[in-house]
Amino acid sequence: MDLQPLKKQLLQDLNKVSNSKELQDLKVKYLGKKGEITLLSKSLGKLSQQERPKAGKAINELRVLFESQSKALIERNESKEIEAILEKDSIDISLPSSEIQTGNLHPITKTINKICEFFSARGYLIEDGPEIESEYFNFDALNIPKDHPARDMHDTFYVDAETLLRTHTSPVQIRAINKRNVPLKIICPGKVYRSDADQTHTPMFHQIEGLLIDEKVSFGNLKQELTDFLNYFFEKDLKVRFRPSYFPFTEPSAEVDIMDKKGWLEIMGCGMVHPNVLKEAGVDPNKYSGFAFGLGIERMAKLDYEMEDMRLLFENDIRLISQS
Amino acid sequence: MKILKSHLEEKLGNKKNIVKLGEQLTMLGLEVDSIDPIKKDYSIDIDLTPNRGDCFSVLGVAREIAADEQMKLKKEKAPLLNFTGKPKTKVNVKEPEACPRYCLMEISNFSLKDTKGKLKKLPKIINLRLENAGINSVNPIVDLLNYVMLDVGQPMHAFDANKINGELQVRFANSNEKITLLDQQKINLSQDCLLIADKKAPLALAGVMGGLDSAVDIETNSVILESAFFSPSFIRGKGRKYGIQTDASQRFERGVDFELQKKALLLAASLIQKYLGGTCSNFKEVVSNKFLPNRKLINLSISALNNKLGTSLTISEVKKALNFLEISSSSGPGDPLIKLKPPSHRFDLEIEEDVFEEVARLIGYDKLPSEKVKSSFQAFAKTSYQKTLHLKKFMANQNFQEVINYSFIDDQLQTKLNLSKNMIMIQNPINENLNSMRTSLLPGLINNLVSNSKRGASYLKIFEEGKVFSNNKKITETNKIAGLIYDHEKKKNWNNSKRFDFFNLKELILKFLDFSSVEKITFKLSTFELLHPKVSADIYKNNLKIGSFGEIHPMIMKKANLKKSFYYFEIDSSELFNEKKVRLVEPSKYPQVQRDLAFIVPDELNFSDIEKEIKLNSGKYLIDVKLFDLFKGGDLAKNLKSLAFRITWQSKKGTLDDLYIDSLVSDITNNLKKKYKVKLRA
Repeated sequence: MDLQPLKKQLLQDLNKVSNSKELQDLKVKYLGKKGEITLLSKSLGKLSQQERPKAGKAINELRVLFESQSKALIERNESKEIEAILEKDSIDISLPSSEIQTGNLHPITKTINKICEFFSARGYLIEDGPEIESEYFNFDALNIPKDHPARDMHDTFYVDAETLLRTHTSPVQIRAINKRNVPLKIICPGKVYRSDADQTHTPMFHQIEGLLIDEKVSFGNLKQELTDFLNYFFEKDLKVRFRPSYFPFTEPSAEVDIMDKKGWLEIMGCGMVHPNVLKEAGVDPNKYSGFAFGLGIERMAKLDYEMEDMRLLFENDIRLISQS
Repeated sequence: MKILKSHLEEKLGNKKNIVKLGEQLTMLGLEVDSIDPIKKDYSIDIDLTPNRGDCFSVLGVAREIAADEQMKLKKEKAPLLNFTGKPKTKVNVKEPEACPRYCLMEISNFSLKDTKGKLKKLPKIINLRLENAGINSVNPIVDLLNYVMLDVGQPMHAFDANKINGELQVRFANSNEKITLLDQQKINLSQDCLLIADKKAPLALAGVMGGLDSAVDIETNSVILESAFFSPSFIRGKGRKYGIQTDASQRFERGVDFELQKKALLLAASLIQKYLGGTCSNFKEVVSNKFLPNRKLINLSISALNNKLGTSLTISEVKKALNFLEISSSSGPGDPLIKLKPPSHRFDLEIEEDVFEEVARLIGYDKLPSEKVKSSFQAFAKTSYQKTLHLKKFMANQNFQEVINYSFIDDQLQTKLNLSKNMIMIQNPINENLNSMRTSLLPGLINNLVSNSKRGASYLKIFEEGKVFSNNKKITETNKIAGLIYDHEKKKNWNNSKRFDFFNLKELILKFLDFSSVEKITFKLSTFELLHPKVSADIYKNNLKIGSFGEIHPMIMKKANLKKSFYYFEIDSSELFNEKKVRLVEPSKYPQVQRDLAFIVPDELNFSDIEKEIKLNSGKYLIDVKLFDLFKGGDLAKNLKSLAFRITWQSKKGTLDDLYIDSLVSDITNNLKKKYKVKLRA
């Protein structure tokens, strides 16, 4: 049985196929009920016992050949069709998108958050407090009685005789102790106000207050915590120094400096919470001690973003604040 | 306070390296602001903290350096003086509590004139030191008194003896008393003002400034020198009351060494005699010991000190350190407490913590150990900070730029924009444009719009989160989040030429409220005066109004001088993110059934009226009512519109029966017809 002419025919036919319809017709022609290969298989019975296996094998090879060739053909066709679709969909991806302004948080917000993330991870609660304060919380409760020379350090805006715009975030110390009792770990970011305006002062600015009260808190703890924080914030191992200073609500008090390109740079104030403040808030200073610190956000933002004039932060020029 | 390096070295008896000296002072807590070379010397500007009145002189600063270096100050020679007789002036201290020590001397028979009839000159070094300290030269008497003040810290005053009538009194002002001060300022005295007066009139505002009438001038040939100790609490606030701050008041307020008066007076008298001549009377002192500051004993516990500083110091180390600060100490053997007595020049040492700082200072803050916080206390509660940050981040993600404006603005702007209701005024604003607390975030955002559009911005999306303030019997601070959308580009994007409209804003607000976990929201036509009454909505959470949004009112644009309109929203941020417990519900497995219905509706009816009626009649399996088409014109009459709805039902228990849905559809149609005369579109 010579299958070569049929094989040649089959390959020629497959070569001519240009769509799925023609392929289907070929399938009927060769493998259908009366297809040529089907008929050959049926005729196998007429052959002798010896011829039969060889012929059967040859016919089967022909069937496999047809199937593998047509499968390859289908795949070739499919990918051609997809390619045609892709070609039709083609666009110029270099064309601009339709939104022309992207949103951003204000540099101050970002700086506050950078600081909050550090202390939050160390278990500090992020507190809030009123911006219009009583003299009591802003001064008296913080060991700054009336006519105390320390009040000269704050150029205070008054709303009435006993009410003012808070000059620092420190009043939140007392409020937080009153609200949550001790032990306590809080930070409080917020707006503060002082009647002062030049390149490094704006009449409204932002501070973050920190307070930790527990048993056996030491000045050494304060040093370590703030050194860790400053290394985190400036993302390098800084030279940090603590030096004596004065705040009526801390004793001992310290100012923290970091070594900058131009020399020592004052960064923040801190100290051990004054026993009078603890007593005023109803905490036993013999059992509990704590530390407090406060830092100016604008100063941190200024250093972090390497900008000169702090006033620009409140001019809200989109071209500037969208850069952060 | 500015002092010269050479003056300091004179007190210390040795030379200093200026860089190291500056560093040393700063690390002692006497922060050096600047060091400026002056001729062959250096001017050192020290930023004194208000607690260290004792350092308000060259002597005080030198004392600190000596203590730090564990050495003694150079001994000064006793001033040379020739006394002749008792002072004639009688002193009557009526207020010994306010003035526990009053010393005086009289110097007479001198002349302030040189041979040419001009004021005599003092040695250059004295002038230079005064000038460096920023103390103006007046006349040789006053200059020498100021010099002694700069040198040792005692403010003094000289009265022209010929201008005094009778005894000197130290008393409070009577009602309606007036005085003209040396700076020509005439002030009405209040009754808590301490005065030096003679029989006739006030001579000086004690511890603050002298009076003009008794002032030393070029003709003066005899003076009464005053060197007193005024109690700080009686001087505090007096100068500030009249806007006067003097070298004297600053020192008395902070506390002058109460054992310094005689020494300073003798020093001043000797200098006057040396440079101006004259005869000097004996020294007179009126003292009331019981009102002099009482240096109470401080009990210092060594273990408390070590706990607070994180150190392990011994009693003898502490005592040694304190000794150099002239703080005397005593303790019995085995006694855990050290009894301490601060010196007369220190007004800031009252409790043991104050002394902890002294010990820490002398050891050096940098040498104190650092140690990780041991406290295991942790707080995990979320506070409003995190919630607010989420809101801000949402807005930034919607392409809004955050702005931060001052909380105070011009009251006239607030009034002009109808925002002055319950407005809080600032009594002492920094300028008139920042004199009232904002009652809304709108004016600030309008200012940002104006300034940015001046710089060329024609498309702007900005927001602010912050407090607004009002005083309705009590002061209230409310957190708001507000934003502004300004879309006026001449040429829009090639791909999207649609301008921002009310429905874009509505979509934003809905997304925002959903993000903020606010439920049960309804919108009503807005009553907010700042917004366009026809193109705005108020947001209600249950029955509580929590915000508004829409187009700005044309009247506001006029008042703010804006030519082009913008969209605005303002929401009470404290009403957002009141987190509720969330339960996840398994969705239905059964198919949805949908019907599309179009109705011919009179124009005056709102979409929401029809939608409400559909919902009311759609049974319990309704899951969605969607408006997919709104059509006007064409073959429709002028006052009609066509609203096309796709209504979807689905049950969790099984496939819904078509007949049941058909009956719902006819209920919807019939009821709309009955209630609004609305017809189904063919």
